[in-house]
Amino acid sequence: MDGDARRTIAKLAADTLPRLIARMTRSELGELEVREDGWRIRLRRPIALSVDAQDGPGRTQSDRSRGAGGPTTGAHGERITSTGRSGQAGRADLSRGSVTSPAVGYFSSRDGIANGTRVASGDVLGHVDVLGVRQEVVAPIDGVVGGLEVEAGQAIEYGQRIARIEANVQ
Amino acid sequence: MFNKILIANRGEIALRIVRTCRRLGIGAVVAYSEADRDTRAVHLADEAICVGPPESRRSYLSAPSLLSAALVTGCEAIHPGYGFLSEDDTFAEMTRAHGLAFIGPPPEVLERFASKAGTRTLLARHGLPTIPGSGMLRDDAQALSEAEQIGYPVLIKPSAGGGGKGMRMVRSPRELQQAITVCRSEALAAFGDDSLYLEKWLEENRHVEVQVIVDRYGNGVHVGERDCSVQRRHQKILEEAPSPALSDGQREALTENAIRAVIAAGYENLGTLEFLLDRDGNYYFIEINCRIQVEHPVTEMLSGLALVAEQIRIAYGEPLGYGQHDVALRGHAIEFRINAEDTEQDFQPQAGVVESYLPPGGPGVRMDSHLYSGYEVPPYYDSLLGKLVVWGPDRASAIARSRVALDELVVDGIVTNIPLHRALLSHKTFLDGEFTTNLLDRVGSGAFLAAARAA
Repeated sequence: MDGDARRTIAKLAADTLPRLIARMTRSELGELEVREDGWRIRLRRPIALSVDAQDGPGRTQSDRSRGAGGPTTGAHGERITSTGRSGQAGRADLSRGSVTSPAVGYFSSRDGIANGTRVASGDVLGHVDVLGVRQEVVAPIDGVVGGLEVEAGQAIEYGQRIARIEANVQ
Repeated sequence: MFNKILIANRGEIALRIVRTCRRLGIGAVVAYSEADRDTRAVHLADEAICVGPPESRRSYLSAPSLLSAALVTGCEAIHPGYGFLSEDDTFAEMTRAHGLAFIGPPPEVLERFASKAGTRTLLARHGLPTIPGSGMLRDDAQALSEAEQIGYPVLIKPSAGGGGKGMRMVRSPRELQQAITVCRSEALAAFGDDSLYLEKWLEENRHVEVQVIVDRYGNGVHVGERDCSVQRRHQKILEEAPSPALSDGQREALTENAIRAVIAAGYENLGTLEFLLDRDGNYYFIEINCRIQVEHPVTEMLSGLALVAEQIRIAYGEPLGYGQHDVALRGHAIEFRINAEDTEQDFQPQAGVVESYLPPGGPGVRMDSHLYSGYEVPPYYDSLLGKLVVWGPDRASAIARSRVALDELVVDGIVTNIPLHRALLSHKTFLDGEFTTNLLDRVGSGAFLAAARAA
């Protein structure tokens, strides 16, 4: 390992990591990922919580995403994945991760992604088209895609649930 | 008329626009952030669409998210409300580029009136008196000679931005030289631009503004003035109309000059021209607000016009359809801004659950608020909870009705500025109609409240 890389790691450990941990502690985020100087840091809470709010007969499309968080891109190029909010009413399931929309627009799934596809955390599952700009939809945890709720070409709002990832299914 | 519009705002104004849409038979789609899911506007809308996280920059200030939301829901126009993107000419331009109408002035009009200094020059050319001021300051020597010409005291103001940053009032050449360095660094830090200019400082001034409506074809009317002199640190707290500071003759001259000048300058849609009024009744134009204003209900109470509906009609391209003689202003109205602020703790904004909300009623009483019992005030946005607007046939009866209404209003569970409004209604200077913009800050809001409690 060269000197530059060592210095970068030292800097990440001294500055970036404590900042991320502090941010994660303050927030209700399930996962946080940062790219800095070519390095990638990912923090994840010990368990992936998901809140599966039961969907009533929805009057509007907004009703469907009640209680869902969303993977989004924050300041400093951080990719933030919210896998459920603590302290919120709902059933917490230890083995499922919600995949929610990072933006408002039209959804398209990536080829080969369907119910039953095995994915790793961070894998791109599809895109949301926002005025012609594509925003990635990524898997929040390792596991198997289940319960895809959104069809290609469908309008989707921010935070709307797209699918669930079932973790560690044998 | 439009079939469906997107409301790109929150709080009481989103609700206000939803109500107008329902009355006009226009489908209302409310764009909301995650923090505003459980709000009245979202519940009452025909459709609602989440556009982003609580942080405004990524929701109510995100032009791509709002435009995308308008397109996927099949809207034909966007109503921006006030604040956020309401006066952003780039957003208005993007809206048009995506084939949607912007409910407000067209982008080129917004652009023409975007610079405060430029707007003053433009409207001065069309006959409005403006406050004596300087051009951009190059160096100390020039600043000193400009200040000498204007006459002390003068206000040093940054060309960019607002909100009181980089702003200082100075009374002498020595103070000017000291303050100018501080102002430059403050302005640079806040807006990335350290250009400054000078403006004459009016010691005891009132803030009076004129509401105008101009259609696409150059027909326009004024809808009288509003007096917004009750302020704290340049923030309006209470507004009323008509202004107790103007005689009928002065009112006529001010309002007629204002509407003539904006039509000549090519303005379009709803707008408000702000003026400072000195003790001798001289008025000076300071700026124009190219949007619906928080205090618009005061004018609606006097005129019977529905200003949001007028805004939508004009943006659709309809002609005004009436003239100045058809605008009749009756009685007196006062608006109280109900804010989640702790007047005892330097007006710190408050967040939390409203345990109980009971709006007042009775003749002439209107409450525009998104509150309900159990509503949680989020910490991310401004502290406006609603507006109590009270009308009476004259000022005295409007004040009497206001006292009853303020006593009846219940907002429990969260600290509000209601005590300040009660104090105002028992303050002699206010009752005499002689409030000036610096009064609360000069006396100190704390001392003001304490005096009211002792009385």
